[in-house]
Amino acid sequence: MTQSELFRALSDAVVGMDEDTTRKHSNTAVTQGVDAYTAIEQGLVDGMNRAGQLFETEEYFIPELLLCSDAMYAGLDILRPHIRRASAEARKRIVIGVVEGDTHDIGKNLVKIMLEASGFELIDLGRDIAPQRFVDEAIKADASVIALSTLMTTTMDAMAEVIQLLGKAGARDHIKVIVGGGPISPGFATRIGADGYSASAPGAVKLVKQLVGETV
Amino acid sequence: MSRDRLTPLERLAAYGRGQPVDRLPCVPIVGNTAARVVGVKVSAFRGNGRLLADAHVAAYRRFGYDNIRIFTDLYTQAEAMGAKIHYPDDETAYLAGPAITSVDQIASLRPVDPEKDGNLPHHLEAMEIAFQAVGREVPVTGALTGPFTTASFLIGTENLVRLTLRDPASVHRLCEVALQGSLAYARAILATGCTPSLTDAMCSTTVISPRQFREFGLPYLRRLVEFIHAGKRPVTLHICGKTHPIWEAMADTGADCLSIDNAADLGEAKTKVGHRVRLMGNVPPSEIMLQGTPAQVRDSVHATVRKAHDNPRGLVVASGCSLPVETPFANIDAMLDAVREIGWPVNSAAIGSVSAT
Repeated sequence: MTQSELFRALSDAVVGMDEDTTRKHSNTAVTQGVDAYTAIEQGLVDGMNRAGQLFETEEYFIPELLLCSDAMYAGLDILRPHIRRASAEARKRIVIGVVEGDTHDIGKNLVKIMLEASGFELIDLGRDIAPQRFVDEAIKADASVIALSTLMTTTMDAMAEVIQLLGKAGARDHIKVIVGGGPISPGFATRIGADGYSASAPGAVKLVKQLVGETV
Repeated sequence: MSRDRLTPLERLAAYGRGQPVDRLPCVPIVGNTAARVVGVKVSAFRGNGRLLADAHVAAYRRFGYDNIRIFTDLYTQAEAMGAKIHYPDDETAYLAGPAITSVDQIASLRPVDPEKDGNLPHHLEAMEIAFQAVGREVPVTGALTGPFTTASFLIGTENLVRLTLRDPASVHRLCEVALQGSLAYARAILATGCTPSLTDAMCSTTVISPRQFREFGLPYLRRLVEFIHAGKRPVTLHICGKTHPIWEAMADTGADCLSIDNAADLGEAKTKVGHRVRLMGNVPPSEIMLQGTPAQVRDSVHATVRKAHDNPRGLVVASGCSLPVETPFANIDAMLDAVREIGWPVNSAAIGSVSAT
């Protein structure tokens, strides 16, 4: 298998939701001394991006996307330890979580998966998270973005509170805030002063890249 | 109700027969907003069937809509089977943790006993009281969560959706035990005089694929609908989020009315399944009903009526999902007022042309 064939096989295994084959090809990459960073980018991440496209065109749904991500993470576990330092540039950090009063977290998890696949470092606070914690964790981690998710209208005010608290902490200028979830509209996002809104997980990746000025 | 000529039951009966009515049926889906009508905290409904009934009857009398739905949250059956539910002081309850964490534990689950388990006896008490109070003028329904959705609360949603591909047999076992509980609860609801009202949120194509709905949603919903039909009651089925690829399959459940979320287009639904089912929807509950003005509510009602008032099986003007707790009363009034103003037969000039959408 040539390198490009191997990358294609890795990508196909991720799209095909096939953890075992992803592991097998990842191990092959390691044994053959293929650059791990490139194998991740052109193999695993390429596969996850294709899965994201299939999700957007409604050929894949949440179950398929989750199984693709399981395959991607299985490959990452094998390849990541072999990344050479030079190719592992400092990744931008994103703090993500479901706001207080809600425990629906599939949407948040999908956004996290797609952002991780795009090379960001995610700090996942989980669900039912108090507004102040988002701010504290983002400042502590020197994050570029806070990503807030909810499915419940009762928790929408907490999103506005995160933005206010971020202002009080004097960190509003360098930390962007994006919001999403069932009851959230672009109008609501604008009204509370969020930097962006996305209706889908793949959309959130484009949004974050715009906001932090990445052209990847 | 003095502001309307007909009672809801009279209106729905006449509308169903194609006879003249005073206005289209209208259902702003009031859930825990009922607590605001009687000035109590949402958590006060827990374990208090009398209060839950009084609040819903008061809300119906306050607004004059066409259906009472005794509802606090989607978790009542899952809770009765062991899921852990968190009750905030004054907001809608939410799932704190599933009943089980692995498929090995499915065998430990038992279908609910509606007379004993969790909050079900209190909900049944509420249904009975509300039906006795106003059941002769308005349909009183009891919320019944669909088996697939209850299954998602029993084992965790992410777990369940992975299992749909990895271990379909276990998903069927979970749905079956949830169905047995749903059937028992449906029987108990019918015995109060009320009609079960079905919600199967997780069947949305926002979550699972149309193929998966046909495999894991449809068969169980069909058995529930058949059971309720055997009790000579009509069935409304609500599925949240996107549903356009499964409208035909939703109609295949045998449901008489499909309640469509605002994430889907009512006009398209009319074209696809309007000859088979009544449609209910779909004023946006968050963007318009909670955050909008009465004028925006009115515009949204007009858009809804414009799209689907000529649905062959009829239209119920409704919110796309349960209303948020803090929905302003003025917006609920505005919804009813807009429907009253449009009247019946629908005056096309009053609501503008379709192209205006």
